[in-house]
Amino acid sequence: MTLNASTTRHPAGRSLRIAVDIGGTFTDGLAVLLPGGRIWVGKCLTTPDDPGEAVSTVIADLLRQVAQAGGSAPRVGEVVHGTTLVTNTLIERKGARTALLTTTGIGDALDIGRELRYDLYDLDLQLPEPLVPRDRRIEVAGRMDALGTEVAPMADAAVARAVRALAALDVEAVAVCLLHGYLNDAHERRLKAGLQTRLPGLAVSISSAVAREIGEYERMSTTVANAYVQPLVARYLDQLQGRIGALAPAASLKIMVSSGGFTSGAAAAETPITLLESGPAAGVLSALNTARANGLDAILAFDMGGTTAKACVAVGGEPLVAHSFECARVHRFKRGSGLPILIPSIDLIEIGAGGGSIAHVNAMGLLNVGPESAGAVPGPACYQRGGREATVTDADLLLGYLNPDNFLGGEMKLSLAEATAALGRLARSLRLTVDQVARGIVGIVNENMASAARIHIAEKGHDPRAFTLVATGGAGPLHALEVARLLRIPRVLATIAAGAGSCLGLLAAPARVDRAWSNPALLAETDWSAAARVMQQLRDDAQAELDSAGVPAGSIVWSIGAQMRYLGQGHSVPVSIPYRRLDASAAAAVQRAFEACYRKLYGALVPGALPQVITWRLTGRATMKRHRFRWGDARAGGADAARGRRRVFLPVRGRFAEVPVFERYALAPGTMLAGPLVLEERESTLVVPMAAEVAVLPDYTISVTIREFE
Amino acid sequence: MSAAAGRKKAAGAFDPIELEILWKRLVSIVDEAAATFVRTSFSTLVRDANDFAVVLTDAQGRSLAQSTMSIPSFIGSLPATVRHFLDRFPAHTLKPGDVMITNDPWMGTGHIHDVNTAMPLFHEGRLVAFAAVVSHMPDIGGRLRNSGIREIYEEGLQIPRLKLMHAGSADPAVVAFISQNIRVPEQGMGDIWAQVSACRMLEERLQPLLTGRLLDDLGHEIRRRSEAAMRAAIRRLPDGEYTSRVEHDGFEQRIVIACRITVKGDRLAIDYAGSSPQLPRAVNVVPIYTFAYSAYPVKALLCPDVPNNEGSFAPVSTRAPAGSILNPEYPAASGGRGMIGHLLPPAIFTALADVLPDRVWASGSANSSVTMSGEHRGHRFAVINFLNAGQGATASRDGYSVLSFPSNLGNTPIEVIESLAPMQVVCRSIRRGTGGAGRHRGGDGLRFEFVVIADVPVVTSFIMTRLKSAPPGLAGGGPGALGRLELNGCVIDPSDHWVLKKGDHVVMETAGGGGYGAPVRRRTGQR
Repeated sequence: MTLNASTTRHPAGRSLRIAVDIGGTFTDGLAVLLPGGRIWVGKCLTTPDDPGEAVSTVIADLLRQVAQAGGSAPRVGEVVHGTTLVTNTLIERKGARTALLTTTGIGDALDIGRELRYDLYDLDLQLPEPLVPRDRRIEVAGRMDALGTEVAPMADAAVARAVRALAALDVEAVAVCLLHGYLNDAHERRLKAGLQTRLPGLAVSISSAVAREIGEYERMSTTVANAYVQPLVARYLDQLQGRIGALAPAASLKIMVSSGGFTSGAAAAETPITLLESGPAAGVLSALNTARANGLDAILAFDMGGTTAKACVAVGGEPLVAHSFECARVHRFKRGSGLPILIPSIDLIEIGAGGGSIAHVNAMGLLNVGPESAGAVPGPACYQRGGREATVTDADLLLGYLNPDNFLGGEMKLSLAEATAALGRLARSLRLTVDQVARGIVGIVNENMASAARIHIAEKGHDPRAFTLVATGGAGPLHALEVARLLRIPRVLATIAAGAGSCLGLLAAPARVDRAWSNPALLAETDWSAAARVMQQLRDDAQAELDSAGVPAGSIVWSIGAQMRYLGQGHSVPVSIPYRRLDASAAAAVQRAFEACYRKLYGALVPGALPQVITWRLTGRATMKRHRFRWGDARAGGADAARGRRRVFLPVRGRFAEVPVFERYALAPGTMLAGPLVLEERESTLVVPMAAEVAVLPDYTISVTIREFE
Repeated sequence: MSAAAGRKKAAGAFDPIELEILWKRLVSIVDEAAATFVRTSFSTLVRDANDFAVVLTDAQGRSLAQSTMSIPSFIGSLPATVRHFLDRFPAHTLKPGDVMITNDPWMGTGHIHDVNTAMPLFHEGRLVAFAAVVSHMPDIGGRLRNSGIREIYEEGLQIPRLKLMHAGSADPAVVAFISQNIRVPEQGMGDIWAQVSACRMLEERLQPLLTGRLLDDLGHEIRRRSEAAMRAAIRRLPDGEYTSRVEHDGFEQRIVIACRITVKGDRLAIDYAGSSPQLPRAVNVVPIYTFAYSAYPVKALLCPDVPNNEGSFAPVSTRAPAGSILNPEYPAASGGRGMIGHLLPPAIFTALADVLPDRVWASGSANSSVTMSGEHRGHRFAVINFLNAGQGATASRDGYSVLSFPSNLGNTPIEVIESLAPMQVVCRSIRRGTGGAGRHRGGDGLRFEFVVIADVPVVTSFIMTRLKSAPPGLAGGGPGALGRLELNGCVIDPSDHWVLKKGDHVVMETAGGGGYGAPVRRRTGQR
């Protein structure tokens, strides 16, 4: 799809950055010409058997579009790539045959976990199956204590025995996770060296390199997951590098990671588990980039797709990063039903609310929506692909929010008759009208999303009334205004290219590296020379990764983080200070930062309590530039933007009304409109079902200020 | 929405959509207050084990919404506490800004470690609701928790029903009394003030919903539908009397729980007549806790989706004879109420095994724990590690190995234990084959083994269960293996206080769960 009709030649000295994101259904691509920020988008069906094929197709398509627009395509500087390969491999359990080496006495840790039930009332709850079965776990003698001191050596004979046992298992990958390996990695490294010498070709992941954090079960689970996906991801990235080289010889490959940054292909192949949540992270970065371009400080990034909605709080221009995550859940929306993964990832919540969410009547005779979803296949009833159950999309259609003739630019017709039939079945069992059920489904799904966001915001210690909601994702702009109204959020921004939103995020992502080192000690008793030594090692290691990603050293801002609490507390809080040499004089700075953070979260300090550092962290991040993207000159003037009027439901007034409909990208920057109204674009629809001020900003972002809350 | 809902109310009942939306919003507001409370609490049990509840009740103390993550102990407890407050402080005497407080086990949750507060909420001068919070305190004074305690006086500070705040001002005498009697007053009072903040937050966020009779109508409709759902679920059970008898290791003698469930039409009555008398030990279970741990398995078996309100449990009743271990008289001690209370779900499962053969579990074992305190590397430490056990099998699957039930308390990572306490863990492993035999096997227990490595003595207390009476199987399934506790190779009594020294080697083993159904027959000649 060409969005730039310019026929002038691209001036010399310009270069292209390309983003490619592989999603479940589509592989999206976006090229931006620098300087200037003109963008082109491309899209093709994902090729699940060989995902790289779609990547090649999309890149070739983008290069063709850019060349058409400017005579020839400029040099491609880099390709930023996001993929769900790691997530899918774990969910579908299609990773490598993997083994585990661990300390004598804890070979059952993967089965024991934390001994908790994730649902108190489900008497047949299903627990997540470990990735490595018991007969592929080998215990090795040798022991470190909680100070990192060796209390039992790891004898050569023990290493040799482990290697022999492993050789007999016929595995492709092995994870090594030893007690207190986060403090002293000597035994883990010995095992790795022994394995590499005697079993070359085996992929080896050691816990001290993958997740250097205290807590043996979570660290083991993370290391095992890394080993499990590594052979597949390494092969994939290797082939991808080749394909990109053929299309754009000078381009370097950057891979998006869960923390909201990118890293080199080589680093990604070494620690692929960090790619786990890169897709949602890209969506948040896209929202954040739009917020920055418009000078906003506190946002709720809101993304809604076919199956889930996601919400993320970002204050001060940075999203919050969490250091533990769960993957491959047995029940997607039940916390605790998955495998714990200790990686830095953007801290967001996932809600079982999407266009495909199915409405049903529960045991108490009440209408419920989700979390089960009809997905893309069979999809909502109105898709006419065999779905018979009433979904959110069906209700959106009946309330006038979707245009049956302009879905995906008219490529897909939506059937009002099928939607009516599906809701009719529910209406009969509830003794309500189809209309009431449609309003109910949308009202309930909006309430569900607002509730989850409300609690997420409260957990982070904020008040939603101070936020701006930034909407992305196919269904995001459809529901964003109502979610904002329920949360009493006064303003909503809708980013451009909602359908290719992840790609904008990939392009906005800064280079980023994270390292961690657990060493629980009271702040006052920290061994500063050891801390300084380890921090320097972490920094050298992180710098090497940045070098491999071709990031100029001068562009990186380093910071030191500490996971801290008062001695005896169960939970810790994340503290951050600018990078400095860690010595005794650093203690005061760390303590001040801890107290400021603690006071903000909890209101007051604990008199007489002793601050303790559990885990030191190091983050290196390129300064996040404000990227301005613009569509180019294909879209000008508001004269032909009007698309008539449509009957849509206005929840705040409890009735339908005829409201004006506009073609979004035909509206010129500076245009001011008044809601209620509907703005249509190819991949999405922005519905403003209340009185509001609607403005088109210079970068084509739409700003909506709500004027009717009650 | 409030205006629209208010109008609707005048027209009559809610439709299933308005009700769902308003109710979701109430629960969400309560959960928001709960999230804020958890953030500000000092108690690790609150933060790590959800040992708290936030509840909104109507003006008569009937539940409207309860925080989602609460553990079973709090089913029905806070609304009952509000009603006890109303007996002491009648509605017409309450003023905006009043806060009432108590930790009376009979009026609260069954032990004094949980402190309850409640705040009346007013709209245009009319009492419309109560915000209430209960949570496990970091400390409540008295002796450290131990089942050897004989009377409540030893357990710590008792707070009768008092006003903590009068019309927005704290009562200095109440604050001084509490502060003087607990070990870490900043943290203890900190948690109490966090409860008050949560109540205030509920009050503020609820303002738009307090108009008219909205809450009353909403509560009525939620209770009506909850009750109808539970009655329909009970009606599916055949009428009859179903009995069981379960045993606890006890002390000098075994403790017996006798359970008789009468199902008649749409009502289910549980009678514990014949259970052991109350004991001069901290294991007595007051009626509110007896009810909570009876209601929990009934709900999980019959109707897991109903909310915890008076409607859902109107058709369910529990009774136990006065003076029995499930209905003890003052001044019974109750700090370790869970040891006995956790036997009620297996008692109810066992009683209903014939009529719900596809739902119930064979017996398993509740959690055990080891608590150690002393000095390590110049600092005082106190570490608690929970050990879970094997759970019973069902008609369709093996029992869970090493899983927390009916409470939900996780283990502490070995790396964390070793960084806090002078000990080295030798193993934490599954006791393979300890689940009872059967068509489906019981879940396996846990082996946790450690060595003390410090020169200074370590005060250690063990809570262990199923060391003498094994979890029985169901429908011909075999019992799980017994648990055991060993010090340096010798079996020891967990109810004693132990002081461990360097080199002491401790082995704790939890029981396996019972099997379900007779083991599949092998060829003759083979066992």
